[in-house]
Amino acid sequence: MTVRRGPRPTIERLRRMLVMLPWLMERGEVPLAEMAARFGLSEPELVKDIELVSMCGLPPFIDELIDVWIDEGVVSTGIPRVFTKPLRLTAPEGFALLAAARVAMQMPGADQDGALARALVKLADALGDVVVVEQQQPPAAGEIAAAATESARVLMSYWSADADTPTEREITPRRVFLDRGRWYVIADDHRSGEERTFRIDRIDTCTRTGTIDPPREVSAPSGSDWFAGADLPTATLMLAPQARWVVERYPTNTTQLTDDGLRVELTVASPQWLEELLLRLGAAARVVAPGEWTTLGAQAAARLLARYEAAGSEAN
Amino acid sequence: MVDALERITNLLALLLETRAPVTIDQIVHSLGQYPAGEAAQRGAFERDKAMLRELGVPIESEVLGGSDAGRTGYWIDRRRYELTDLDLAPDERQALQLAVAAARLSEGEFGLLKLGADGVAASSVVANIPDDPALPALREAAADHAVATFAYRGQTRRLQPYAVLLRDGSWYVIGHDEGHAEVRTYRVDRIESAVEVGPANLFERPAGFDVRAAFPTDPKVLGDGAAFSARVRVDAVRARAAESSLGTAAVVRRDAGGGLEVEVPCTNLDAFRSWLFGLGVHAEVLDPPEVRDSVVEWLREMAGGR
Repeated sequence: MTVRRGPRPTIERLRRMLVMLPWLMERGEVPLAEMAARFGLSEPELVKDIELVSMCGLPPFIDELIDVWIDEGVVSTGIPRVFTKPLRLTAPEGFALLAAARVAMQMPGADQDGALARALVKLADALGDVVVVEQQQPPAAGEIAAAATESARVLMSYWSADADTPTEREITPRRVFLDRGRWYVIADDHRSGEERTFRIDRIDTCTRTGTIDPPREVSAPSGSDWFAGADLPTATLMLAPQARWVVERYPTNTTQLTDDGLRVELTVASPQWLEELLLRLGAAARVVAPGEWTTLGAQAAARLLARYEAAGSEAN
Repeated sequence: MVDALERITNLLALLLETRAPVTIDQIVHSLGQYPAGEAAQRGAFERDKAMLRELGVPIESEVLGGSDAGRTGYWIDRRRYELTDLDLAPDERQALQLAVAAARLSEGEFGLLKLGADGVAASSVVANIPDDPALPALREAAADHAVATFAYRGQTRRLQPYAVLLRDGSWYVIGHDEGHAEVRTYRVDRIESAVEVGPANLFERPAGFDVRAAFPTDPKVLGDGAAFSARVRVDAVRARAAESSLGTAAVVRRDAGGGLEVEVPCTNLDAFRSWLFGLGVHAEVLDPPEVRDSVVEWLREMAGGR
């Protein structure tokens, strides 16, 4: 875990303590540095917590104290007392573990009979076998994920969003990630000489060229920030409750609950994309900024309406 | 002044070790670390108790009789407090670590610490999983066979949840809806309230219930309404997208210009509309008339705001 800076809230300190103490009691003694690193604390933070907890225990606080001390950079414990077992998993922890394991089983290259599958059986025994994950895996996902691990170049034929025929591209896959139900690959695109993100379900065929490139670390984007580097415009929308799902589904920058509904700033891939989203949301959404898009939805609706009203219209 | 952490740690130890329920007076007296004055003591105790509950500590309480008649006594049941040992083998723990690193769920990281795993692993494939505050409660209700109560589309639903399911980037909960007396599926991100979890063991999941089979693959045939089949004209520019999402069997006519007419089976008008407008201004419902009318109505309402 990473080391955080700044004052630590009491609840965070206690949460860690209830994991650290049973762990320590099982071992008897552990180097301070090792224990601090493991629990994401600086050494002074850990010393402070250990000193505090050594004054805690049961009334009258004389002989029934928690038996821990630090000597020459080693944390030690004597008679295990009180916090000998970790606190049970919280509902969010239990859910996160089950969900993570289920999702990982659906990833390219997952071994259906391996260690994870066995761990999952034990988790499901304890937490209920009630989380199911069904994630479509495009045919090219396995090949692309393997190429990313080895920095292997591949030649692929790729359907761009705006093209009617696939294009041939040579790429070096760097990182494969799943976002909102779709698999993507961040790759070095050798045609443009730039880093590009491709949708794996648009890859028709791919074959290795035989070239292995030097490895390069590319971090996967998280949550909403993965459009951030693309320099795309944003729109501010006002959403009624039945349109709240937009926030989960698409990258949003800020959300704010107001009397009129949920105000969100949304990254807009293209005006056409926004138009489609607005049609789907109907009267439950309204664009408040920028000015040029405030009537985009109403205009699209009017255009489409004209088509319906001219009965028997033909394809345009 | 006593550190709040010191007091709350002592409180937790006391509640874990006590043989009989303890009242606030007894707690204040034996810890000696609460402020003076009854109101201040009660306030501080309530804050401590709330923090422990937030951490997931199960605190039991009951109204006492005898010499403490009418007062509330508190204690912690160790069997409910302590982590059930999952008995993970080292390679299983490692695999879970990788899974948590790949799914990037921070709560999972902490859960792993409790299960004795070391630090964080790195994964070359990662997944952004939508997180929703309703999910842990729904998982708990399904595992404990407890009724989950929540607001959905302005109505209160009482659901006996069988499972939560992640499909193509959205979470769903499936179960027996008590109000409608049938199996229903709800999209978790459209739940409009906090989820309340009732007492455990109030229902049985039907033997052999198969979530995947019970759950329609296609949102257009998911949920509430009566079944219908819609005929839709799709312009040439979006024909490929429509055909690949519906399958070639759905195509009932092809224009010389590349446009299509497709037949779309539905039970869910919302999902159908969502699919339809995903094709932007390039698709038009031809049949049945009431579906076409509802789309026109939808568009009028939108266009009227101009």
